[in-house]
Amino acid sequence: MRIPQNIVEAIVDAKSYAAEKPMQDAFTWLRREMPLAVAEPEGVDPFWVVTKNRDILEVERNNDLYHNGDRATVLTSKANDQRVRAMMGGSPHLVRSLVQMDNPDHGNYRRLTQPYFLPQNIKKLEPRIREIAKSFVDRMADKGGTCDFARDVAFLYPLHVIMEILGVPEVDEPFMLRLTQELFGPADPDTNRNRKAEMTEEEALQAIMATVADFVTYFNKMTKDRREQPRDDVASVIANGKIAGQPLGELEAMSYYIIVASAGHDTTSNTTAGALWALAEAPEQFAKLKHDTTGLMAGFIEESIRWVTPVKHFMRTATVDATLRDTAIKKGDWLFLAYPSGNRDEDVFEDPFTFKVDRTLNKHVAFGYGAHVCLGQHLARMEMRILWEELLPRLKQVELAGEPRRTEANFVCGPKSVPIRYTMQ
Amino acid sequence: MAGYKTWQCNNCGWLYSEADGLPEEGIAPGTRWKDVPDDFVCPSCGFAKSNFEMVEI
Repeated sequence: MRIPQNIVEAIVDAKSYAAEKPMQDAFTWLRREMPLAVAEPEGVDPFWVVTKNRDILEVERNNDLYHNGDRATVLTSKANDQRVRAMMGGSPHLVRSLVQMDNPDHGNYRRLTQPYFLPQNIKKLEPRIREIAKSFVDRMADKGGTCDFARDVAFLYPLHVIMEILGVPEVDEPFMLRLTQELFGPADPDTNRNRKAEMTEEEALQAIMATVADFVTYFNKMTKDRREQPRDDVASVIANGKIAGQPLGELEAMSYYIIVASAGHDTTSNTTAGALWALAEAPEQFAKLKHDTTGLMAGFIEESIRWVTPVKHFMRTATVDATLRDTAIKKGDWLFLAYPSGNRDEDVFEDPFTFKVDRTLNKHVAFGYGAHVCLGQHLARMEMRILWEELLPRLKQVELAGEPRRTEANFVCGPKSVPIRYTMQ
Repeated sequence: MAGYKTWQCNNCGWLYSEADGLPEEGIAPGTRWKDVPDDFVCPSCGFAKSNFEMVEI
């Protein structure tokens, strides 16, 4: 079954994700009418669109049946796929991080840094992260009752935390933020490298390559430094790490830095900004959360993650002929895992289009599932908990002071501007 | 409660506390790991019960 072109447009167009409603309407239609069907946008190889929560879990759980790295891991046009393969010796990937790997490499590379991100390790960081959170809440108080919560707080707080963990000095944080926004917002006029209203596919690819090159130049220096003088940071783990007795490959090491330095904050920023946006629009939810902040905190954080779902899709490739939802999937087929759809699935979530701080049994798929489930999920939750623990007791009232806006992107995106008016104590 | 232990998924780091159980999945507070059903899977990543290890938190 082929998906109608108007629906296909709405699930691939970056502007549709910025507006959100066209994208959500399209996925709602698909879940009801064609929960697993083929899309064929112009200039893109056909792919299955996996819209149901249960099917996303099944594909993610069976990571030997459905590989990450055999084809591009994010939606890519045929022309750009050919350009990347021509440059990368036949590989469809510009970088080779955990996201592009399958076993055995994936497990080996993941185990290298996994201990750093486990709950028992990151809890040591809690006092320092609380200091950082307090400083941002103080800064918000000093602003006198209006700010852009996305730009003034949500972008900067997780950035500062992950850069300390990685080992990047504070002076370089604006540079890292800019590169991250260029990487994840190649179609957005406010964030793409050329600051152009419209980018051609080729321009967007060239801009991403230039951004990756900037990251590589920066992290090559860091590798040299950490090999000479290892510290207690993740950069030292990457620089000095060994897989089967050998140092990491150069591409893999650079990719490891890049994924920590980009995905390690942008997703948490998006979720934090989106949560405050939701609270500002729903005073009764804000009041409920204020009334029982401790009791509702864990559920509120999960609901924020479900609500925003900052990672919009990943692609998988079938390694053998398989069956999904009683449908034959052929070896080599490409599958689009639609996380925003899985997180609004009416079969899993009651009243899925309502933000509820007291939602329970929140089986969202925003962190993925299976072997590739988000490495930084415990840190992300802890960062958000600490910020809200510091902010909510002081935040007496909040409302929108303008129209919030989201980044135009179909891979990773969330709010880029959340103007608010508020009272603090 | 004395003697309760914590078990961790070695894929994703999710923690099962015997003291807290997992009431939303029908596992009552105080349920020992050995009494958790064998078909239990990690709610965070779906890995099997056999992938869990006891940890000190």
